[in-house]
Amino acid sequence: MRELIHVSDQGILVYFLALNSFYAVLMILSIPEIWEQTRLADDDDFQRIMQSDALPPITLLVPAYNESATVVASVTALLTLEYRNFEVIVVNDGSRDDTLDRLRAAFDLFEAPRTYPETIPTRPLRALYRSRARTRLLVVDKENGGKADSLNAAINASRFPLVIAVDADTLIEPDAMLRLTRPFLLGRHIAAVGGTVRVANSCTVEHGRVTDARVPRRFLPGVQVVEYLRAFLFGRLGWNRLGGNLIISGAFGLFRKDYLLAIGGYRTESVVEDMDVVVRLHRHLLRHRIPYEMPFIPDPVAWTEVPEVGRFLARQRERWHRGLLSAMWQYKGMLFNPRYGRVGLIGVPFYTFGEALAPLVEVLGYVITVVGFALGIVNVQFALLFVLVAWGYGMLLSIWAVVLEEVSFRRYGRVGDLARLLLFATLENFGYRQRTVWWRLKAFLTVWQQRQVWGEMTRKGFEAAKGQTGRRVDG
Amino acid sequence: MTGRHFLTVVALVQGVLLAALIVLIILNRWFRLRRRAQVHPRVIQLNDAMQRWALGTADVASVLLRLARLPVPLAIDALVMWSARVPGDRWRKLATALRYHWWARLVRANSDSARWWQRLQTARFLAVAATPEDTPRVLRLLRDPHPAVHIAAVATLERVESAALTTVALERLPRLAATVSAYYAGMLRRSRPLVVQLLLKMLRRTDDPALPRLVEFAARLNEPALRERLTALTGHPDPEVRVQAARAIGSFPHTDSIAALTRLAADPAWPVRAQAVRSLGMIADPATLPLVRDALHDPEWWVRLRAGLALTRFGAPGRKLLLEAEVGGAAGPRDMARLVLGLSTQALAEYAA
Repeated sequence: MRELIHVSDQGILVYFLALNSFYAVLMILSIPEIWEQTRLADDDDFQRIMQSDALPPITLLVPAYNESATVVASVTALLTLEYRNFEVIVVNDGSRDDTLDRLRAAFDLFEAPRTYPETIPTRPLRALYRSRARTRLLVVDKENGGKADSLNAAINASRFPLVIAVDADTLIEPDAMLRLTRPFLLGRHIAAVGGTVRVANSCTVEHGRVTDARVPRRFLPGVQVVEYLRAFLFGRLGWNRLGGNLIISGAFGLFRKDYLLAIGGYRTESVVEDMDVVVRLHRHLLRHRIPYEMPFIPDPVAWTEVPEVGRFLARQRERWHRGLLSAMWQYKGMLFNPRYGRVGLIGVPFYTFGEALAPLVEVLGYVITVVGFALGIVNVQFALLFVLVAWGYGMLLSIWAVVLEEVSFRRYGRVGDLARLLLFATLENFGYRQRTVWWRLKAFLTVWQQRQVWGEMTRKGFEAAKGQTGRRVDG
Repeated sequence: MTGRHFLTVVALVQGVLLAALIVLIILNRWFRLRRRAQVHPRVIQLNDAMQRWALGTADVASVLLRLARLPVPLAIDALVMWSARVPGDRWRKLATALRYHWWARLVRANSDSARWWQRLQTARFLAVAATPEDTPRVLRLLRDPHPAVHIAAVATLERVESAALTTVALERLPRLAATVSAYYAGMLRRSRPLVVQLLLKMLRRTDDPALPRLVEFAARLNEPALRERLTALTGHPDPEVRVQAARAIGSFPHTDSIAALTRLAADPAWPVRAQAVRSLGMIADPATLPLVRDALHDPEWWVRLRAGLALTRFGAPGRKLLLEAEVGGAAGPRDMARLVLGLSTQALAEYAA
């Protein structure tokens, strides 16, 4: 028993060192990246570029399911974005409320014939509507099939070579689309670009725009501001340099349509369609030896509301982790496979061992410590020191994210907001982190149960994916 | 060193780092606030001086003085902003004055810097303040490996007419990514006569892999002087060149164009046929009406769509043919005619774009 605990202890220590060394690498890599990105963001002469016809036309894909309360304001805000050539395709995914009626009334919709082939199979379309008031708007009304199915229907209907998937409840900054196209203007071989998603809770919103960014006073949404900063500003920036980024947020990401069509669009069976589509894009492009990049750009910003109640947050995190687990299982063939370059050798292994299995290791650590205490074979001082170092490291990473925010974009101008950011970055490790571990741990159980009833799940078809929206913020 | 010692050292280092980061955040805020307090009044002074100079109530020296008092990036931002507001002749006077100013000399000297962001500053500065003497420097920036730098440098074409600059930009255009290429094209269109002369030579290089992009650019110019050369390219073996040539000659209602498009309407590659039919619709010569009607029977959906849309451009005769197809026996033309006849005017205009 002693030997077993000793070996497990050593294993966890090695895991801790390896994982945190990797985070340190990400942290260091984020420095030159944020330097370059802020330089480009500051120096781009957007007005001049907007006046040229160089910008590629973009289609905004907006799946909407029971969004009656917000859909008109959201779509109006999207239609007034600063961009020369774009269209907005709203997909009413068989809403049971009056989402479609509200759209029809607000934008003077009229039924139009379908003028495109159904390249990706979707649930049947009921009708297509164009607007007499807003020429950029197309509304697709279809039978319910989930978010991925709606996105596929919108891809089919889109006319332009680039598409941006946007949640109907996401607020996009007016120049975000313009900024998102910067890598294209820099002549890079772009397959997809991710922008930053920030927390809108407690912010002042006027006419679908965030006019005053605030850090919430309440703990749960406040701590998520730090989480989002950490995930976007240092996690993904670091991954930019490593080239193995596996997540582009489903709430705000730009994709080349021809590549999405080549992989058959979004998978309707996937729990987290955004991660799934990025991994499949990597796989497709690497298999076919197509040169590409999938950078993350920090200055295009979309704002989203995060759960303020533990119950909803728990459900969201459980689902995200379940999605991560199933994606890692689904694409296990890429793990340590040199055929997939950095994605196979760094990205997939990190997300498998550093993210997917992390809650198991952490809980194992807690269990061993408790058992060790009970048997009197764990040195109390050592154990406490270890916990202190682990928490200290977590705080260091969170505060580093706050530093990056402060030296670059400074969205939270007030001293009070900065103080709250630092406070939440400090408190995150005491209770909140353990709760997220528990929520993520429950995902293992759900996945296990689902595997027992897999046949039944597949028969459910589109309904299984219904209502599964959201965006990931993992490292 | 035992494990406990190691962890103690790590914890201490963490503590020091955490304290350092918090100090860094506080210092960063303080420094920015202080800098802003210093710089903001100077920006206002510069804007005021610029406004008075633009109205002719102040001399250029007052502008130069205030520009020199600003940090370089802010001064360049101000120049870029004001360059769009001040008339060309007057702006050239400021550009000439800046040529000999110590501050501008320092910015120019950065064109050879090893740091890309300094070269970018120079390129942005020269884009609004270059004089003909800066041509060699802009040429170097146009060949810069960093895309942000050469994209900023190509904007110089808006203000400086130079055969050398135009040639380098045009040579580079087809090898750039599509978006950057489109941006270059927008800039090059401002030097039209020179560009047309160069294009006439470049379009003769029929084995050039960049030819499709050059033809695409030529098509955007709608330049009659290029018509003959573009029509000759409709017989090129590369289908992409034929597509672009078909698009280009659709702007020229000439018998040669119609003859070439008639030939291309039977091309083995469907994108060529689709574009040829579309261009025939743009010219809308009644003699080609039967040809466009026949394209409604094409096995490819996109060619049928283009044919249906093209028929709407022939006016009443085209519409009549669509109505006939709508009640005809063939499923393909019937479905397409039904679809096109159901399109709103706005949708038709969007398709035409």
